[in-house]
Amino acid sequence: MTKKIEQTAAPAAPYIPKKEDFVLLEHRDIHTDANFASQSYWKGVITHFFKNRRAVVGLVIITVILLLAVFGPVLNAYGYRDIVQYRNEKNKRVVAKGIAPQIPVLHRILTGEELEGNFAGYTFLFGTDDLGRDLWTRTWYGARVSLLIAFVTIIIDMIIGMSYGLISGYFGGIVDQLMQRFVEIANSVPRLVIVSVLAIFMPKGMGLVIVALLLTEWIGMSKIARAEMLKIKEQEYVLASRTLGARNGHIIFKEILPNTIGPIITQVMFSIPTAIFTEAFLSFVGVGIVLPQCSVGTLIEDGFNNITTLPYQILPPIFVLALLMLGFNFIGDGLREALAPKLEDM
Amino acid sequence: MTKYILKRLGMALLTLLIITFLLFLLVRIMPGNPFPSERMSDEQIANKRAEMGLDDPILTQFIRYMGNVLHGDFGKGTSLYNGAPIKTVLSTAISNSFRIGGMAILLGTAVGLLLGITAALNRGKFLDGFCTVFSILGVCVPSYVFLIFLQYTFSFKIPFFPYFFDNTRFAFSAVIPSISLSLFTMSTIARFTRNEMVEVFDSDYVRLAESKGMYGRDLVMKHVLRNALIPIVTVLAPLVVDLLTGALVVEKIYGINGIGKLMVDAIAGEGIDYNYVLALGILYSALYIGIMLLVDLLYGVLDPRIRVSAKGEEA
Amino acid sequence: MKKLCVMLMLAVFAFCAVSGMAEDRYLGVMLGTNVMSLDTNLATDGDSFEVIANCIDGLLQMDADGAAVPAIAESYDLSADGLTYTFHLRDTKWSNGDPVTANDFVFAWRRIAKEAGEYAYMLDEIGNIKGAAEIISKKTDDLTTLGVSAPDDKTFVVELNVPVSFFPSLMYFPTFYPINEKFYSSLEEGTYGTSPATFLSNGAFILEDYTPGTANLSVKKNADYWDAARVQLAGIKYQVVGSSDNALTAFRTGALDVVMISGNQVAAAEKDASLAQNLKVTGAGYMWYLSFSQTEKNAQGGKLANANLRLAITNAIDRDNLVDNYVMDGSLATYTAVPPQFAASSTTGKDFSADQEMFADYVGYDPEKALAYFEKAKEELGTDTFEFTMVYGNNEGDEVAKVAQAIKEDVEDALPGLTINLQPMTKAERLDKMQNDNYDIALTRWGPDYADPMTYLGMWVTNNSNNYGFWSNAEYDQLIADCTTGAYITDYDARWDAMYKAETLVLQEAVIAPLYTKANANLIVNGAENIQFHPVALNRVYKDTVLK
Repeated sequence: MTKKIEQTAAPAAPYIPKKEDFVLLEHRDIHTDANFASQSYWKGVITHFFKNRRAVVGLVIITVILLLAVFGPVLNAYGYRDIVQYRNEKNKRVVAKGIAPQIPVLHRILTGEELEGNFAGYTFLFGTDDLGRDLWTRTWYGARVSLLIAFVTIIIDMIIGMSYGLISGYFGGIVDQLMQRFVEIANSVPRLVIVSVLAIFMPKGMGLVIVALLLTEWIGMSKIARAEMLKIKEQEYVLASRTLGARNGHIIFKEILPNTIGPIITQVMFSIPTAIFTEAFLSFVGVGIVLPQCSVGTLIEDGFNNITTLPYQILPPIFVLALLMLGFNFIGDGLREALAPKLEDM
Repeated sequence: MTKYILKRLGMALLTLLIITFLLFLLVRIMPGNPFPSERMSDEQIANKRAEMGLDDPILTQFIRYMGNVLHGDFGKGTSLYNGAPIKTVLSTAISNSFRIGGMAILLGTAVGLLLGITAALNRGKFLDGFCTVFSILGVCVPSYVFLIFLQYTFSFKIPFFPYFFDNTRFAFSAVIPSISLSLFTMSTIARFTRNEMVEVFDSDYVRLAESKGMYGRDLVMKHVLRNALIPIVTVLAPLVVDLLTGALVVEKIYGINGIGKLMVDAIAGEGIDYNYVLALGILYSALYIGIMLLVDLLYGVLDPRIRVSAKGEEA
Repeated sequence: MKKLCVMLMLAVFAFCAVSGMAEDRYLGVMLGTNVMSLDTNLATDGDSFEVIANCIDGLLQMDADGAAVPAIAESYDLSADGLTYTFHLRDTKWSNGDPVTANDFVFAWRRIAKEAGEYAYMLDEIGNIKGAAEIISKKTDDLTTLGVSAPDDKTFVVELNVPVSFFPSLMYFPTFYPINEKFYSSLEEGTYGTSPATFLSNGAFILEDYTPGTANLSVKKNADYWDAARVQLAGIKYQVVGSSDNALTAFRTGALDVVMISGNQVAAAEKDASLAQNLKVTGAGYMWYLSFSQTEKNAQGGKLANANLRLAITNAIDRDNLVDNYVMDGSLATYTAVPPQFAASSTTGKDFSADQEMFADYVGYDPEKALAYFEKAKEELGTDTFEFTMVYGNNEGDEVAKVAQAIKEDVEDALPGLTINLQPMTKAERLDKMQNDNYDIALTRWGPDYADPMTYLGMWVTNNSNNYGFWSNAEYDQLIADCTTGAYITDYDARWDAMYKAETLVLQEAVIAPLYTKANANLIVNGAENIQFHPVALNRVYKDTVLK
């Protein structure tokens, strides 16, 4: 085994540079921060972050979604559980269900004609759902739940997952063995089983969803953090710190953590949609939020039931989720670059 | 090294035993009946429970169960496909899920790596932006929505692939579900590869390699990708387990007899089928533990400095 | 590579062309759920029953109107006391060449009693066959005490405890189908019906392709079927389809010839002229209703034991709105405890529940009346606010969640002070909760097992396992006892009247709130004709089906 490793790590054969090889460098974004030396670390991070255009765009997207989640449902005449309906002359109920997005004013301007149908005079920006509820209201109402899930996931990942992985990787040996076996056990019990059992002891709802996320959502992050730790802990500067008598906590969180931030941020971003869909699944089996409440995840699942017949139903929640992710990713990228300034920035 | 692997395998068996016991207890606490019925009298159900040995002390039941499992007997379903031995039902499901999942993993990893590398090499340019948007859509849009899209386009509008899964034409009918399942993996791998490579590009030692006159493909393959592979392998591992063990909605929509649907039917069908939940639980855990061991070994290959085994364990 | 691709494509087209040949085209049929078992002792769902009935004939079979007509039995005699049926079997063969004998029935029926599975109750509670109850409850191991015998190969005799007016109609239910004993004993234990090789048929079709858990299976025409001339189809290819939306697309692509759709897809098909002509609504039989737990431990200390409160709720629900706007597949709003369209009187031919206005005094949609009942209930219970939880299964159909929400809105609108919290769960958990009496209100359903109102009315007898509300009424119990084992069993019309009386008792106290009787909205391809649809026992029968 050892031999093989030596082989693969052997120096490369001499390489004759070609002309096009030189293109890379010219396009590299080299920027120099003149004031770097005079700033504190966090002040530098913030300055750096806001200089990054994409990061600012990301921040704006998230802010807009947050604002819409708070005020979106209020901007509309319909509540999240209001069924738009009336009784016709035969005393039969007519329900505004399954209506495609419509804006009567815009329709008149664009086509010069009036909308047809029972609810021609109504404005439904995102259309209505199967029960005749306005999807604009429900989408933003659902965004509240999903934003909460997103933030909870970030916290779980950053606190539990990261510490668990870093500690497991740093100490290695028997500590690592035991901690990893625990991960295997935690990950192997089907979520539906554990949640059903938990539901006996605590009320179903958002609290239970968060507990369910707490149980397993950190595992992916812990694996990443551990891998990074395994990679970095053998490097010279760690050894140097240890020789100088730095405490373990200091080495883990002050010396190594900043150098693992890249994959950690990527992992946080990518665990958000998974958590949002987990919530939808849990709600479907009845342990999560309860109808008529909704979340982005449950709206996507509801829309999926009619995906070819009423395709507009699934679009708004997917769009919101994608925007949310785009925003988080831009912020994540910006943060990563800001937190770990490289040589070129000095 | 061999000693380390053997030790890990021993621990894996112990872990598996703990998981099985835990699951054995938990399914019995869960609400739901192993003999769901609306027509049997309480007496009939009691007789059935007694026949199954469900009234015995839990440890007796567990030892009996483990004894049977060691003989390769996972029992029969009590509420799900209750006529057939679980082994029969499971073997078909495993074969379908493993093959479709396997194709999805290969496709997702290969294309994901390619996309990620391309994006990293074109950092900040159009291709990079495309890759970002692609990976975000890939994780935001559930695989079953992709499935419907592909099914609608390539089985309905352009009727080339079969509309439903057909075991007699496996390769052909596995295309649509494999592609839909691969997109999440593809996006994740692409994003991680891109971010990792960008980071490694910026690192001091690549700078050093560059200054030593190492450029282009050689640099990418030899140093950058190799260093980026550790987080990639780490995120890939659980995805592999998930893909191999099936995906509920994709299986349901495309009519695939796979593991994902079996698991949900076992827990959330008419009743709770203890034997199915346990058999599937053991399968999932064994796969997960096995792949995690493989990943730990791979770390050592990718970066010889990493020693997962404790000091003195290495051969 | 390119060459390979082209060749592959050619091969595929050739394959498609071959499989598309008209004369041996199979009928592509959608199944809603996986076939759970082909063993008559273990099968409990309609889809399994349908496939079994394709392959195995019982003593009698259903005609297009659901009446029992001869199949394996050429004819039968009933003794003067109404207790002994003697079936005379015709010469028919199993698909391995063995003759179908009376002993095959004796063996199969004894096995049902011995295994005491879900449908064993058809033998004792429903069929009242002599000795069945003792074997099923394990009071005796002696299977010969079951009142079935085979004096010779072609004669099968059944003895009953009491006359059962609808007994012949039970004979087409799969529980009563025969199994070839010699073949069964030759198989390894637990493998019967798990593959074409371990399953024998004596019916219209032979099992061609099946493994347990599969999402697609097929049956082909049985050339040796005793009535082979009648069967026109070359075979049937079944495909399990997971969603109504997918079913609609599958039908439009031509992947399937017969599918079931619901909700929005029905609305879409109705709007599409090319699809509207293929739409056919058929009765599915089962009735959805609300069950109210009346015990002390539920519903805020047994508040739902108050009949006025239950009447208030049942009168606050707009059932037309439920079926028109949310279920949308042609289901019928139902105001009777026995749903319409499955049990017709054998003397008058009139459907038992044809008159849906019969109980208009107790069940209907009238918010003012509901409020009046509610005021009375508030006075009697001495409280103004009620908060109940309503459980329903989220995996029991797309429409269930919609119906639950619509009920919540209606009831909360009509009865201020009453809150209904929805609690979705899996079907497994819903059944568990109901069977352990751990719920307030449940949205549940029941399908008829046989064509007699008693399949519903039997449920509300004191201590019946399906009496989830724990309602108890001595007069009701007496009426039902008289109808099943007592005074009325020989007087058909008097029994019929007694059953109306019993139904009145259930509804005037709103023991349940009937909601709607489910229908199936089928799309059937042009050229496929004469598929028989039935609300009871076998939902679809293909013996006369033609595919042009």
